[in-house]
Amino acid sequence: MLTVFMTKAKAKIEHLGDSGVDIVESSGRLGVFLFNTLSRLWMYRFPLEETIKQLLFIGARTVPLILISGLFTGMVIALQFYDTLIRFGSVDLLGAAVAMSLIRELGPVMAALMVIARVGSATCAEIGIMRNEQQFDALDCMAIDSYHYVMLPRLLAAIVSVPLLTAMFDTFGIGGGYIVGVLIHGVSDGAFLVGMADTIVWNDVWMGIVKSFLFGLVIMSVCLSKGFYLHIEQKQSGAVGVSQATTQAVVLSAVLMLFVDYIVSSLML
Amino acid sequence: MTFEQKKHLHYQLLALTGEVDLHNSPQVRKQLLDIVESGYSVIVDFSALSYIDSSGIATLVEAYNLAKNNQLSLTIVGATGAPLQVMELTHLNKVFPMIDSLDEIKG
Amino acid sequence: MTSSNKNIIEVNNLVTHYGDRQILNGIDFSVEKGEIRVIMGGSGSGKSTLLNHMLALLTPTSGSIVIDNVDVVNANRKTLLKLRQKMGVAFQGGALFSSMTVGENIKLPLQHHTKLDEHTIDIMTRLKLELMNLAGFEDLMPSELSGGMLKRAGLARAVIMDPKLLFFDEPSAGLDPVTAVELDELILKLRDAMNMTIIVVTHELESAFKIADRITVLFDGEIAITGTVDEIKNSKDVRIQNMINRRARDEHLDADEYIKRLTTGKN
Repeated sequence: MLTVFMTKAKAKIEHLGDSGVDIVESSGRLGVFLFNTLSRLWMYRFPLEETIKQLLFIGARTVPLILISGLFTGMVIALQFYDTLIRFGSVDLLGAAVAMSLIRELGPVMAALMVIARVGSATCAEIGIMRNEQQFDALDCMAIDSYHYVMLPRLLAAIVSVPLLTAMFDTFGIGGGYIVGVLIHGVSDGAFLVGMADTIVWNDVWMGIVKSFLFGLVIMSVCLSKGFYLHIEQKQSGAVGVSQATTQAVVLSAVLMLFVDYIVSSLML
Repeated sequence: MTFEQKKHLHYQLLALTGEVDLHNSPQVRKQLLDIVESGYSVIVDFSALSYIDSSGIATLVEAYNLAKNNQLSLTIVGATGAPLQVMELTHLNKVFPMIDSLDEIKG
Repeated sequence: MTSSNKNIIEVNNLVTHYGDRQILNGIDFSVEKGEIRVIMGGSGSGKSTLLNHMLALLTPTSGSIVIDNVDVVNANRKTLLKLRQKMGVAFQGGALFSSMTVGENIKLPLQHHTKLDEHTIDIMTRLKLELMNLAGFEDLMPSELSGGMLKRAGLARAVIMDPKLLFFDEPSAGLDPVTAVELDELILKLRDAMNMTIIVVTHELESAFKIADRITVLFDGEIAITGTVDEIKNSKDVRIQNMINRRARDEHLDADEYIKRLTTGKN
């Protein structure tokens, strides 16, 4: 009786151990991947043309989503803060409250989540399919460096796009807050705007920029590497493997992004 | 690869020696296009040519087309061996005038 | 510094693993310049693994692979790069990039590795498309092509730089018989006109017998025989005779166990 229990317990612990080893292996792979990709910056010429193409896919085409989500996020925060602030008679602080929440925290995080949803999943799937169809093997055989030709442009485009998209999100958000606060609830527009300008300091904006830069880096690295290492990390290849990798990529990007969010906030606040 | 250019009747004769490949075909291209742009019909002598790759063939096609558009001609003389096989593989032996010796050119 | 060695590929004592599983058991394999060599074997014989190791996509556990006097396993990046420009690979599904047109796909190696004029590159691309019976398909996207056309486009890309060595992974798979025959003839023409050494991994017997100078047959990670078409046909090895005559593997049927499997699903 005891031996059966011991065997089962051992199996569970072994399973945990295996998962632990897998996690460490994955992290190592991600690190190596990031190093390999970034090293191409000084090993080869700057991939200007390909990066610009990716800026179009990653940055420009995400703007409509950012517009809508930024607008609604700003409107909702304004509603929530209005409801609280009016009880303390401090509605003049509405502009400052909305702007501060967006610029320091909600803007970077929400914009990153939108990017994960739209760009992260699509990129992981695209790269995973390339792996499945032996396109990376073909690149290797043609002596074209995959890291330089495929990965680096996407990574560079992400770290440029995400801060810009975040800035747009903040802007549309503040606009949404203005619509709800000033236009709908009649808060004084002067108080809204001046309160905002008086309270926000350079450190707040800088925090938003640092966060969004790091978020772009994390999201794109995770999504690219999950697709790239599909044949090693996923149990099944083909379409099932691609969907598994994409799911993992989206979840991991989001979790890592929130982790980085906490680290940066605690360091910079 | 070396080439030699000289006048033959009212043509310019370009004799190619050795192998034409990715690395040296641009030189041949420049030479051929210069000849045609100066208003001469050209004869390309393949007798001492041991190998020509697709970039060389593409160069000949471009020069042939330019010549045709300018009412000039491009003729190939003395094609044998691998270069002849490449011309046959690409069916260009049915496009380019191909002769065995310069004697076939009348003044 | 050219060797007078007539072998352009020499593989010695190649041992490979996939994780813990051994795939190849000390393969000795060589190909002569200008030869068309067909590699055959059942699934799991290791033929794709052998191909991937020759292409330096995988690293062996032990053994040496020398291609055109280059030690592929230990070569530095630059040397391998130069060698790869002389090798063309036609992958099973074509392996074209879906974000570019067919023409852009085929041109890619030329744009990366040569300084040829754009006009020359365009004409070269079209020459290869014509050769593959894909004239006029330049501006289509890969998603608009059928399976057979994708293979031919992949082949056009493989030969765009007129490589010395051409590797084919299952060329006839998924092709209709007429196209398959045309492809066979193209392989022969390429070798004759362009002096290519061609290695074909396939399981199509008819193709193999038609184009091969020599055939190498692999079983379970070992070479059973390398020989001319006639030598293969006359081989006394029962596995090879089975393969040629398309006989199923001889399976011993135990009536009782069979009924048990069918009715209970247990072994």
